[in-house]
Parts: sequence; C-alpha cells; structure tokens
Amino acid sequence: MEIYLLDNLDLLQQHLLIQHQLYQVIEDDNGQCSWQQQTKEGNAPLIAKLPQSSAKDFFFAEHENLLIFNGEYFQETLPKPAPFVLFGALSCDLTAISYQDKFFKDDPYYQARRQHCLLVGLDCVRPCQQGFCPTVDAGPGVREQSADIILHPLENQQWLVITTSDKGSEAVKGLALSVAHWHLLTQRDLVLHQCEQDFPDNTYITQAIDKLNSGEIKDSFWQQLAVQCLGCSGCTTLCPTCSCYSTRSITVESEQKKVIKQQRFWDSCLYEGFQREASFHNPSSDAGKRVQRFWHHKFGNEFFTEFNRHGCVGCGRCEQTCPGVIGIHSVMKRINSDA
Amino acid sequence: MCADLVKTICPFCGVGCGMCLKINEQGQLLSVEPQQNHPISQGKLCEKGWSTPYAINTNERITQPLKRINKKFYPISWQEALTTIACELTSIIDESGSQTVGIISSARASNEDNYAAQKFARAVLKTNNIDHCARICHSPTVAGLKQSLGSGAMTNSAKDIFDTDLILVFGADPTENHSILGGHIMQAHAQGTELIVVDPRVTRLAKLTSMHLQLKLGSNIALINALLHVIIKEQWFDKNFISSRTQGFEQLALHVKDITPESVESITGVSAELIRTTARAYSQAKRAMIFYGMGITQYVSGTNNVISLANLALSCGHIGKVGTGVNPLRGQNNVQGACDMGCLPNVFPGYQGVAELESQEKFSNAWGAKIAQQPGLTSLGMTKAAQSGDFHALLLFGEDPVVTDPDQNHVKSSLKNLDLLVVAELTMTETAKLADIILPAASFAEKDGTFTNCERRVQKVNQALAPRGEAKGDWQWLQALAKQMGSQLLNWQNSEEVFNEMASLTPDYQAMTYQKISDNSGLQWPCTFDAPEGTSILHQQSFPIGRARFICVNHVDIDEPIDDLFPLLLTTNRLHFHYGCGSMTRKSPLLERETPPGLLFINPIDAQALDITHQAPVSIKSRRGYVETRAMLSDDVPVGLVAMPYHFKEAPSNQLTNTAQDPVTKMPELKACAVAVTPLAKGQPPKTIQQLQGEQ
Repeated sequence: MEIYLLDNLDLLQQHLLIQHQLYQVIEDDNGQCSWQQQTKEGNAPLIAKLPQSSAKDFFFAEHENLLIFNGEYFQETLPKPAPFVLFGALSCDLTAISYQDKFFKDDPYYQARRQHCLLVGLDCVRPCQQGFCPTVDAGPGVREQSADIILHPLENQQWLVITTSDKGSEAVKGLALSVAHWHLLTQRDLVLHQCEQDFPDNTYITQAIDKLNSGEIKDSFWQQLAVQCLGCSGCTTLCPTCSCYSTRSITVESEQKKVIKQQRFWDSCLYEGFQREASFHNPSSDAGKRVQRFWHHKFGNEFFTEFNRHGCVGCGRCEQTCPGVIGIHSVMKRINSDA
Repeated sequence: MCADLVKTICPFCGVGCGMCLKINEQGQLLSVEPQQNHPISQGKLCEKGWSTPYAINTNERITQPLKRINKKFYPISWQEALTTIACELTSIIDESGSQTVGIISSARASNEDNYAAQKFARAVLKTNNIDHCARICHSPTVAGLKQSLGSGAMTNSAKDIFDTDLILVFGADPTENHSILGGHIMQAHAQGTELIVVDPRVTRLAKLTSMHLQLKLGSNIALINALLHVIIKEQWFDKNFISSRTQGFEQLALHVKDITPESVESITGVSAELIRTTARAYSQAKRAMIFYGMGITQYVSGTNNVISLANLALSCGHIGKVGTGVNPLRGQNNVQGACDMGCLPNVFPGYQGVAELESQEKFSNAWGAKIAQQPGLTSLGMTKAAQSGDFHALLLFGEDPVVTDPDQNHVKSSLKNLDLLVVAELTMTETAKLADIILPAASFAEKDGTFTNCERRVQKVNQALAPRGEAKGDWQWLQALAKQMGSQLLNWQNSEEVFNEMASLTPDYQAMTYQKISDNSGLQWPCTFDAPEGTSILHQQSFPIGRARFICVNHVDIDEPIDDLFPLLLTTNRLHFHYGCGSMTRKSPLLERETPPGLLFINPIDAQALDITHQAPVSIKSRRGYVETRAMLSDDVPVGLVAMPYHFKEAPSNQLTNTAQDPVTKMPELKACAVAVTPLAKGQPPKTIQQLQGEQ
C-alpha cells in the first residue's frame, strides 16, 4: 500500500484516461445519478453520490449472447473490452463487486470484463439517505480489498490517494504524486469513524437479522409481507449483489440462413416462474416463500458462511425502488414489530 | 456499456412514471432505470416498465410497409403504400362519401399523433369518424363526470394519496393495473390512511384491509344509493358544501329515501352493517378520495355508475380540496391525452363540441379548411357499419380491437368486410393480420412528443433511438398520406410545431410549451394564461358548469344473468404482468413465463363441483363464443364468479363477452356475462382460438 497527496484530481483523471476509458458518476439537473463515460476534454467534478443503477452491469451484462450458431459453426461471444476504470465507486458498490467476483469466479463473460477494469474507490464522509453500510460492514470507507485505488477527500480540496493493489500502483506510475505522511491515514480513520457515528440508529436491522436466523419467523408473516410484492424485479435489478439470470434461444431466420443466439438475461427470484418446472411443479409457488428466500439470501447465516459476509451491502436502493413498500428498511422494521 | 441516458415517460399505464432509457454507443436500447426524483414514481417502476426493452428490441418488429395478398404479406415501399392507401381512400370517398371512412387512433400514441389523427379525419377525410379505445374504458367517465361536475377527468393528483385520511377504491385493481399508484395506496395505508375496497374479487388491496365490500357484479348503483341513504338519514352530509356548490340535493334525498342498506343486501351481497360502517367512515373522514376503474365503467350502467360516485363525493363535500375527489384511473399511458386531443366522434380538441357552430368555425378557420359537419361514428359504430356494408375504409394504429373489443367474432368479420384496412403497428397483432396494408410504426422510444397521464399531467417523451428500419411516427405517416392526397394541412416540421398548434386551439393546454413541460417535470391541465403553472386540483372554487349536479340514478341489472345453460358469471380482469393485448409485454421472456397463455380464475368450490383441478384444461362457452384455457383455482373470486384476463390472443375473453351497451356512451358490458365452464380431457392441452377456428 502506498499513500500519496494530490492537489488536483484532474491530473489523476487525465493520467488514467491515457490508457483507460473512464466512467464516473454524474448527477443531472433532476438529481439523477448515473455512470457516464468521461473524455479528456472535460471531467465533471467527483461526487460521492449513489448512482441509481449500481456498477454491476459493467461486468454482468443485462442481456448478452453466450454463443451464436450462424448456421454453419459456433461463434465465440466473449467480450473484449478496452481497459476501463470506474472512477469514484462508493464502498457499498465496491463491496458488491467483490461479492459478485466470488459468485462469477468461473464465469468467462464476467471475468473478461472484470479483468480489464481498474476500480478507483471513493470514501463516503457523510451518510446517504437510505444507506446503512456500517451495519453490514460495507462502508462508509472503501475496504482495501475491494478497490485498486482509494480516494479520500481532505480538507483544503486535497485528496489522499491510496493504492491497494499492484494494478493500482501500476496505474498511477508516471504521475507526479507526493508521498503522504502516514498520519493522514489516521486522520482518514477518524473522519470515517465520525461518519459512521453520523448514521441513524440502525440496530433494528441487526436485531431483525438475528430474528431472521433464529427460525422463529412464521410462514404467515412472509405470506402477509408477500401480498405487497408485485414481482416487479425492481429490487433484484437494482440490488448490486443480485445475480440471478436465465437464458433463452433466439432464432433469427432469413431466406439464406438460420442464426441461433443463446442469450443470457437478468432474472428475478421473486417471479413465480423463476423456479417453476415444465410439469408446473414449483418449489416456490408461494409468494411468501419467494420473499423469504430473497431476504435469506441477503442475511441468512448459510450465505454468510459461503461468502464470508452478508449478501446485502447497505445501499438502500431496494427501499426506494420497491413499489410495494417492502424494501430493506420497511421489512427489517416489520420483522421486529410483526414477525 | 451505457453511453447515453435519455429521460422519458413509461409507455404503459396512465400513471406516467418517469423512466430513463440507457443507450449504448451503437445507439441501441440496453435497459431502463427509474427516474429518481420523478414527481409521481419517485424512483420506482413496475414489472411492465422494467421490461420495456423487450417490447422495443424484439426481432418481431415490423420494419417496412407490408401489403397483404390473400393471406400473405409482402414488403412494399412507403411510396407504394401511400399511393395505394390514398387512391383507395379517394375512390371510396368519391363513391360512397366521407362518412364511410374513419380512423381509430391510439391511447398509446402521443398527443401529437392523436391531434394529427383527428385533424386528418376532420379536415382531410372530412369525417368525424374518429375514436379510440377510451370507448371501452372510460367513455362513461367523460360522459358521467361531464354531467355531474362539468369535466370528465381525475379531479385530484396522485400525490394527494399521501395527504388524505381515507381512500375508497371502487371497482379498480390499482396494484395490478396502475402498480406504482397502487403501491402509493399500500404505502399510505401502512402509514395509517384508512382503506376501503369495493370489488367482487379479493384484490391485493382488499387483502390488506378489513374493509372489503365484496359486492355482486353490476350492483354499484344500489350500493352507492344505500350509502347515500345512510349519509342523508344520519345527517352526515356536508350542508355548507351542498348549499353553496351544488344543485339537486333535495331530489336525491327523496330518491334514496327508501333505499335502505337492508333493501339492497340481496342485490349487492353486502351486509347492511358494512354499508353503514362504510357510509360513516367515508362521510366522517376529514378528507376522503375515491379511485375507480373498469369495475364502474364497463357496464350497461357505466355512465350512471360514474354519476353515482359523483353524487357520493358531492354529498360529503369531498371534492375540490387536497386529498379528496372522484378519480378515474385511466388505463393507457395516453388515454387522457387521446380524449383531450379530440379523438372522439363528438368533440374537437379540448372537448369543444363538434355539433356547436362556434367550434366548427373556430377549427375550420384555424385549419384553413372545410371540415366535417356530420356527427361521427364510435369505434363500435364503425365496426357495426362495416358489418352491414355501410363503412368501407379504416385507418387504425396502436390498437388491437380483435383482441380487446367485445365479441371478437363480430369484430373480425366486420374488419374483413372492409374494402381497406390500414394498420400501423410495432409488431404483428391479430388485427394487423386482417389489414390490407401494414405500416411500420415507431415506438415511444423512437419519437418526441407528449403523453398526458391520468392526473392530467402532460409530460415530455424524448426520442432516444432512431426508428427501427423504415418505421415512422404516427403523425409523420399521416402527414405523408395527407400530402399524397393533395393536402398540406399536416405540414409540421417537428413534434413541437404539432404541439404548439394544438395548444393554441385547446384552452386547457394554452399556456404549455415543450420547454415549460420539461422544466416542471410535466404540467397538469388546465394550464391556461390564468393558471400558467397548471392545476393540481380541479373544482376548487367552482365547477365548469357553475354548480355541480346531483343526478338521480337507479340500479340496472346486468344484461345477461346466469341461467341453466350458462350457470356462471364471467368477469374480466387484468394481470399486472401484462398490458392490453400483450403485444408489448408478452415479448418479455420473464413476463411471458409468469402465466400460461390464457387462464380462468375459478373458486375451488366451483372447480370441485365441476371436477376441475389447478392448471387443468377447461372450456368456456357463452352465447357468443367458445374458448379453451387453463383453470387457476383461487379464493380471490367468489363462488359463482369466474374471471378471465383479456391479454391473451390464444384464449381471448372477448370471444365470450357481451356487446350490450351503455345507452349513453355505447360502452359494452365487458364486466359481466353468463358462461358455462367444462373440464377438458386430462392431458389435452387447451386449443388456441386460432386452432379452434381452423386458422394456420
């Protein structure tokens, strides 16, 4: 790990742009935050705001062809992206990428993109509206293992640049950076600690997680909750750790030939058809069971053991996007009060 | 990777949620995300909205004009298509007159498209034969509320859901059909707002409240009259409001004097006690909002049902204030707009009467053309006239009446009887299959324009993609066709020019511009020079007709009760996964997977009596038709009632539905008819209607 001081972030952006395509979160006039490509001509200021869509589709595409049969032979469809950098990803989303790295460890399509990506994390120094990353060990400070470079805003418009991987060190080579004193790391810890203190009291989440794992919650509770699940797929689409997908064959026939594409697309475990078999047998035909499964995937001990952490990174996107008012905060409160 | 994010409005229901389209470097639609700070949807989308890319990106898009020769379609050039249509139209008009041609426009198309369609009909074809699907959803709303209040639109705004004490949902299933708004109701209820649901089926909202009035089909007026009886008898009405803002209350009081809750128990199936509790809750709430849907309008009593609801709200003064009102949930993304634009046979844009000389002169002068004088035909009037050989050519876009209109066989044979049927569509539909010429239509993502949502909010739709293949927006092909017919009346350069012309002639839109709409995340009409910021609540100071009118209405039985041959009542419903005829939502592998292609909800007790098991193949027969589908056993429908969604072309409920009509608006009684259900041999998959009728 190396630590540097940087007066002008633009220098780092310009430097990275030499060898990478650079994406950054941009806020528009209506407060919509999204990942947008930046060019050498003009860099928008770096903002610590959660984009509506996480970065997962940079690696796990919403729709992609796994193979194409062109009528004569199979064509490879592995993506070959140019090197790119996600500049200023927040800790929750970075933790989610680490989580998905494990899930997609052997997935060549995911890995083809992931290996070309440099992750530049940005510490959050203020809580966000729906977030609760400290409760699930996913922020507000960027975890060392989750990024190649960490940026920390200092007072006086200066930045602390921390390289945490070989890829990160390699990326800043050739950039004139002054080495920073280690005490700035202590200062960073203090700021992040203060930020954690500033989050609202989220003990109801911890308590609900315990209750969820106690086996005490009755099926009737989940069934009641599931009345409010419209099966819209909003939570699973926006959740940065959700990774369910399905595949289908698409046949395009012309007079000359017949092309068959095998397409992978994002799916949602909250759809009734997700697990239904051709015989109509369905182990999760009950909406209550599906809602229960979703929350167990996020907070169940069995998954914690497998991934060494919760399946939730505390971004709060599901709370905002759920039309049925059964996102994270609502559900955790109801587990405490009604279950 | 996403290269551009284009803000637009969801193309599905009338809620009008804010959506962003993610476009890649190649200019293709990758996916969608909700607009975080949209005034209505606030960062949410429903299952239909999330699945939008499948509807737009499908390989099944029609990309060039097609001409049917016998049963096959062959690609032709736009020029050939336009020449053919123009020649046919001209010769039909010359031979049989303008009253034998017409247009069915689309509640899914933009205001600009709809404005162009009615102008084309009235000024180029010289006919008032212009209509759209509002005929079969909210025409009774327009007619009923116009009589009672003077304006046939949602009186309040979606945001009022969070600013009220009681929500009364009457014959509507908002979590399925207007999911985001339904979600708002769930949220408000969870936060303490009282919720009363009146519905023959146990809807999702009904499951969340202890106050569910599970009335029998078609007994709305009896129920509401009994509610009024209690409110008046107990002196729970709003005396000040009634005396200062309304007329006709005394007659109403006299009218409902003997309609006690007990007297309607057998008609409605709702206990007198529950009627009294509801009357008290609604009338005593400080602020109470009514939402209603097809369970009110799709009856032979549709217009009177709407009037009845207005009576209820007026009696308690629950109108003209925040968190109150009579609020129709409009079905399609732009059904409000299509009505506002005058795509109705009896009104010009802004509901200016076709029969009024003053309006005729206004539009004739503005357009610089002679316009149609004769009253026009409704959509069902056009199909009926086609059947009898009195109507020869129909232009139709963005609708699939063969699937969505009542009595499918009648619609089909009528359309086949036409000399010229032109259909503009995204993909092949059951109606398009009958067309002589199919035109490739641009999708919402491929055009600029505006949609007006159910709360009268006019919102900007922004082009994100180049039209697929040779597809054109609807006003653009109408323009090209007008030119081909020698008319320069539709010669706008862009959508904004269409909008500006429309706004200059439509009083409620007069102070709107594209820029202002975008800057304000939409503007709610009336947006006039007196109210340039728009209007979120109607009727605050007065009604357009001065005083609102109490109008006495009586219970009317449904047209086709059960009998020995057809012992079950069939009602129609919608599934939240699908939209209309399914031509867009059924392109999503995820939504398509959720249900079999057609289904019948049946109570387990009825199912057992008929020896029908869950997912078993069944046949359903009415006096008009026969379909086969799969049974879904569900306690959500009461004994004696079965329900069928109308989204599926394989098992269309409209083979069965009744064509009996509301006398005022010609709204067919889609919500009730008598049927017989029989199990099919086990293991025999249900036949599609196409197989049953020997097609393909």
